[in-house]
Amino acid sequence: MTVHLYFSLIPEALIASMLSPEEFGSYYAVGSKKKTAGQAIFFEIDPHFDSQYFRIKEGISRCVPHEDGEPKASTYISIYRVLEHVPVHALGKLYLVTQDGRTLGIDPSDTVPAMDGGLHLYKEIVPVSPLIASRLNPLEFYDLIVKNPTSLVSLHSIAFTELRLGELADDPEDGQIGDLPYSNLDHLREVLKDLKTKSVATKMVDRASPATFAYRTIKNGFYIGNESAIAFYPMPSSQELREMNYRWWRSANM
Amino acid sequence: MNQVWLYISIFASLISIGAALYLFFWVERQDPGTEKAQEVASWIREGAQTYLKRLYVALTIVSLVLGFIIAVVFSFDLTEVALGNVQITPSSGLRMAIAFISGAICSAIAGYMGMSVAVEANVRTATAANESLNKAFKLSFYAGSVMGLAMVGLAVIGMSVIFLITESADAVLGFSFGASALALLAKAGGGIYTKTADIAADLVGKVEVGIPEDDPRNPAVVADNVGDNVGDVAGMGADIFDSYVASTVAVMLLGAASTSLSSQYVILPLILCTLGIIASLLGIQFVKVGKDGKPGTALNFGTIITTVFFSVLVVILVLLTDINIGILWTTLTGLITGVIIGFTSDYFTSEGHKPVNETARVSDSGAAITIITGYSYGLVSIVPSVIGIAVATLLSFYIAESTGLPGIYGIGISAVGMLSISGMIVSADAYGPIVDNARGIAEMAGMDHKVIEITDTLDAAGNTAKAITKGFSISAAALTVLALFAAYAEVVEATGIEINMSLRDPIVIAGVFLGAMTPPLFSALTMLSVTKNAFEMIEEIRRQFRENPGILAGTQKPDYETCVGLAAQGALTSLVLPAFLAVGLPLLVGFILGPNALGGFLGGAIFTGVIFALLMANAGGLWDNAKKFIETGQYGGVGSDAHKASVVGDTVGDPFKDTAGPSLNTLITVMSLVSSLFAPIIAAFHLF
Repeated sequence: MTVHLYFSLIPEALIASMLSPEEFGSYYAVGSKKKTAGQAIFFEIDPHFDSQYFRIKEGISRCVPHEDGEPKASTYISIYRVLEHVPVHALGKLYLVTQDGRTLGIDPSDTVPAMDGGLHLYKEIVPVSPLIASRLNPLEFYDLIVKNPTSLVSLHSIAFTELRLGELADDPEDGQIGDLPYSNLDHLREVLKDLKTKSVATKMVDRASPATFAYRTIKNGFYIGNESAIAFYPMPSSQELREMNYRWWRSANM
Repeated sequence: MNQVWLYISIFASLISIGAALYLFFWVERQDPGTEKAQEVASWIREGAQTYLKRLYVALTIVSLVLGFIIAVVFSFDLTEVALGNVQITPSSGLRMAIAFISGAICSAIAGYMGMSVAVEANVRTATAANESLNKAFKLSFYAGSVMGLAMVGLAVIGMSVIFLITESADAVLGFSFGASALALLAKAGGGIYTKTADIAADLVGKVEVGIPEDDPRNPAVVADNVGDNVGDVAGMGADIFDSYVASTVAVMLLGAASTSLSSQYVILPLILCTLGIIASLLGIQFVKVGKDGKPGTALNFGTIITTVFFSVLVVILVLLTDINIGILWTTLTGLITGVIIGFTSDYFTSEGHKPVNETARVSDSGAAITIITGYSYGLVSIVPSVIGIAVATLLSFYIAESTGLPGIYGIGISAVGMLSISGMIVSADAYGPIVDNARGIAEMAGMDHKVIEITDTLDAAGNTAKAITKGFSISAAALTVLALFAAYAEVVEATGIEINMSLRDPIVIAGVFLGAMTPPLFSALTMLSVTKNAFEMIEEIRRQFRENPGILAGTQKPDYETCVGLAAQGALTSLVLPAFLAVGLPLLVGFILGPNALGGFLGGAIFTGVIFALLMANAGGLWDNAKKFIETGQYGGVGSDAHKASVVGDTVGDPFKDTAGPSLNTLITVMSLVSSLFAPIIAAFHLF
């Protein structure tokens, strides 16, 4: 049986598994008797990838079938600082798993989407997970946090996504929230108003933001980068998801 | 001439039943779809048939026991008991018992036919949706029509034949009591079943695990779909069958008791029902989805055109015969009031109007505010219906009086007018659970998303039809029981006892209080049954998920049968106390406190019953649609704080609108019928 290497973002971990990505997503979200359950996001990474930081070969050698012949679902290789030590070029497909175990695979794109104006809302995923509002577009935000930090706050690498703000992006005071399920809406409006009226580029919306979030709130896709490179994984439109991946789309909208 | 009308009624009924059978076989000839879809449909069909089989076995025993009691009790002629003269006539008792059992059988056949076609039509509708919305709509509506046409046909043929043979309105009262007894148990049992499964499936599946509606991984999904059939098809059909027959019988009794009316006024309600059958048969032909592709418009147009056809037929009847013109106006009063009240219910329960939108808006502040707002609008929703009932009561009374008819007879005719187009109303109503099931099958069988989108559109129209039917049936039941109430008084006075229901009489007041207590108590019992049974099923679903992780991973099939069995067993065992309340309590009050107190008891029960039925049906529908409105992407959409609060509101509303609320119609009808039926005996034997 083939052993796969998966880089999980929620929670951050490097895992060897004999399951295919879809099987692993289902197992990771609902299939374990160990009560670990819920939404998951992970990359499949180059099976030939190696690093002095991780004991990958040892992990793979331990990933063997159970005595009854069942494939080994997971062998944890690392549960800390994985993103920092996995180069962007080693990343394969990104998999988004719903809390009931349906898995959607996304390929990286060669181009990043056109950057628009207005206000932005960023959900940082790894290595920290706050919710940040900003006047900066995604590439500027990445630049500020990773490549050219102007403050003491910086990260070696980051995985984040931009969440939709809908009407709030241009009209934080009176814009309708529509189908965006954000809690503490008054606070969000205040933060966005401050960004419009004050000279700050970014403001914290929620420093203890939940690790998981509704996939439908993703604006364009996922950004993952370090000091040397950034990759973009475009999120299919809801129309495409409905037509091509109906089951996943339906579970994601629960 | 009366006999000719009865033969015409029988002929029209046979046509109606024939049309129902034709449509039944037409539906069966349609493409049943893929093997997977047929397999899923077979789980639902078998679950529904198993439940109905167990229900009907229980009902057969109840019917035979009650039939035996009726046969014994009505063998004693007590009309001259005050003179010390009691005659024993076994043939009278036997006649009444046969009428009673016939009513139960006709109601059961209508329910069984409706449900049988529903469990065949669901998968065919899903398959037809693969081709077009129009084809799926036509199939599901025609399948619903089987229920509508069979129901009115069996009701009218049953009443006509019994009257033709016995020439006694009292015997038809026995038929009505049989239908009502079955309806009460079918409706309450179906309501408990459907909400037990629905709540358990949602609370574990959606809330705890996060799997979507109708997902085949949910062990309760089949029970949930079975519930749609046994609750909304068989149960609702039995409920309207009961109101339809009871309103007709009430007017027949009033006609028979009146000294100023000729014999044709005894069978006049049957003539009106016959015209209603013809109007429904014509109206059904006009239910077609137009170019705008809106099934809701097609259903509403069907109701309106049937109303117009019926009105024209009544005008022709009055013009061509010597029937009093007052009949035309009182019939139209009931008919128009019924349609208006039906559409008013739609206002309170549909999105796009203030009650639902406002409840959705405030849900952002938590479940408590959702409950308070929805409950308050539910209370407000009582107002237009009660005003409508009051206006219809007064108008029909005074119109009748001014044209030389007894006022109370006019009220009864108004109720018959309201229910005369039941063929069409039930057709539209039964369509709802069929498309709901079709959607479930499409999900479970993994059909294309376009099929699900089409069945979603069809389902939305079904919900509106359901809301209209509920408003309609509650209002009709209110007028029906007013007529039955008057019939009760007539029956008591026929024994030589003057009935006095003055509120200054403490015995009457005691009766009013006891009666007013009964509908809330009945509601509580049925809703507590739902929570108790749902609790057990929740534990079972959790157990399956816990012990078999492969179920959620999609590698193991859940054990659907255990959940189906739990729902069925729970529903049947929960019926004992509610059934006693409906049949036993009026008799206890009557035999202990006497006929005046029983009159007060009926009055109290009618008033709180109507209020509670309207409140529960409308508040429940409102909470349901407030949640659906948020799910369309309002106030944060799915997963938002508003949505979480609205889910709580919807869960509270589920047993309101589908268990307790609709069963109250039947409760007050059964209590009124029991009282009228046993009135001569109660008049003769009571403690106070």
